[in-house]
Amino acid sequence: MPPVIDREKCTACGLCAEICSEDVYFGSVEGLVPQVTYPDFCAHCSCCVYVCPVEAIWLRIPFPMQLLYKDPGEQ
Amino acid sequence: MKEKRIQTDVLCIGAGIAGLMAGIRAAEKGAKVVLAEKGYARYSGRGRGGNDHFWCYIPEVHGPDVDLFMKECLKGPKLKTMQSGTASTVLRTFLETSFEIVKLWDQWGIPMTYQGRWEFAGHSFPGDVLTHLKYEGRDQKKVLVKKALEQGAEIVNRVMVFDLLKEGDRIIGAVGIDTREDVLVVFETKSVVLGTGCLDRLYPPPTPAWMASIPGNLTLTGDGRAMAYRAGAEIVSPEMPKRHVGPRYFSRFGQATWVGVLRDPHDKPIGPYVTEPHRIYGDMTPEVKGVFLEEYMKTGRGPVYMDCRGISKEDYEYMMHWMWHEGNAPMLDHMKEENIDFRKHPIEFQAYHIIPEGKIGINEKAETSFPGLFSAGDESMGGISCAATYGWIAGENAADYALDALLPEKSGMKAVVDQKEEMIQGITSRKEGADWKEVNIALQQLMQDYAGNVRSETLIKAGLSYLRRMRKKVDQMLMARNRWELTRCLETLNLMDLGELVFIAANERKETRALHHRTDYPLTDPVMDGKEIVVRSENGKPVVEVKRV
Repeated sequence: MPPVIDREKCTACGLCAEICSEDVYFGSVEGLVPQVTYPDFCAHCSCCVYVCPVEAIWLRIPFPMQLLYKDPGEQ
Repeated sequence: MKEKRIQTDVLCIGAGIAGLMAGIRAAEKGAKVVLAEKGYARYSGRGRGGNDHFWCYIPEVHGPDVDLFMKECLKGPKLKTMQSGTASTVLRTFLETSFEIVKLWDQWGIPMTYQGRWEFAGHSFPGDVLTHLKYEGRDQKKVLVKKALEQGAEIVNRVMVFDLLKEGDRIIGAVGIDTREDVLVVFETKSVVLGTGCLDRLYPPPTPAWMASIPGNLTLTGDGRAMAYRAGAEIVSPEMPKRHVGPRYFSRFGQATWVGVLRDPHDKPIGPYVTEPHRIYGDMTPEVKGVFLEEYMKTGRGPVYMDCRGISKEDYEYMMHWMWHEGNAPMLDHMKEENIDFRKHPIEFQAYHIIPEGKIGINEKAETSFPGLFSAGDESMGGISCAATYGWIAGENAADYALDALLPEKSGMKAVVDQKEEMIQGITSRKEGADWKEVNIALQQLMQDYAGNVRSETLIKAGLSYLRRMRKKVDQMLMARNRWELTRCLETLNLMDLGELVFIAANERKETRALHHRTDYPLTDPVMDGKEIVVRSENGKPVVEVKRV
């Protein structure tokens, strides 16, 4: 569930935890890779994705919010 | 709990578009301004991802007669529904001031022209007056936060204000919590501007088991409306439901930015307005009747798709440009990952959950019925253009009010602040009980089943009685394990107050109008045209009136 942090890339700058208005990173400790404490409360706004200076965050869209489409080319 | 005191002339609650505009204008007028934001100002509110439509009146485009333009705007259902509960004097002032705001934003760095011209598109029927200016709003919050700070306004992030403090008939302050630290924040202020946004969490989300499946923000819980009501200000037509339309499941606002046609599974357009993708005129069907899409599903004729196939190369680029500015960048990212292409794949659309349209009543100066209390934005007049314009007006008048007033005596505050602190201690000290989510879901359940898409006196009365019975228990049982949960608890208590207002006003509106569907009063009452249901609190009891606003 969103957001997903790449622990290899993350520099633990804490910017994502600082800016999230839903505060899904609540309780994260300065200097450590942020923890996603409340993934259910993620609004999928991608603000943390765009603010991350090293592109370490990926927003995984949960299945109940999948985008549905018709594929006329599909057999 | 530690206590922090902040003194100011003007307190803006909520740093969205309305709060920031109010803060900028009040600071410019020489008032000391504090903006209290429960999230993080740069990335909070409905406008955080951007926007691309600004409803406005530009004389050189629309002609010299503002009254005629206003009449044109209100003749169809789109803006009439959106602005239900707004006084015509307020609407007129908005239109008269809107161009000034357009020019200011452009000057501050939010591009309001497209290829050197005023570009109007979307939210309009073919052959009709064009009402919405296209603008590049992707960075609007960045620009407004910077401007507010430059003007000397102070932004306090992570503070949720949950109640106003008053003495006699004037506002003297507000009380909030720090959402991360164990601190109670008490504001001493001469005036308050409420700009806390919509009411997105009162009704069950499109997927009830998934609270985040809403197009709006989970933290928009009508806090200002609830505070204003408790303080004694008038709340206008809280019962009127609104439903947005957009991509199914992947809930997003911004349907007017899509250049396409809503079609049934056999590729037949569901509405009469457009038959091919058109960059100026999107498909207005959802703005005429959003629940039309739901009817297709209920009768087995669905699904309904937003179909952009056949779009020209230029129009595709045009749409993608505006989608990005509209705040739909996360959707574009997701489509890229999943190889979904607007030009090949029709996207399923749906009508989302109920968002109540109720408003804090204001006059043309953005004053509520309570002295020193002002309101702007979605709390009083929906949409970003209205938030920007009325935020500005609210800031100007709040500053004038504050500069003429003295700071309140602190004596009146202590007893009330102590009482609030005790309430918070109760929630945070309980080891057993009901958390915010349990209560919020139970509330949503009652709202949907007893004041949802079908309403009647028997349902409404039963629902109100169940809600009040639950409230008594909730006040004794609500618990929070940390500050994050405490914030959600205070939001949920606000939601419960607003839920009660929906029931009270829905009972009083004895007619069917727009999406307020009363099975016991199936016809619209023409006597109610131009009138609203107004609710206010007097000695802790609701007083309901039918008024012309």
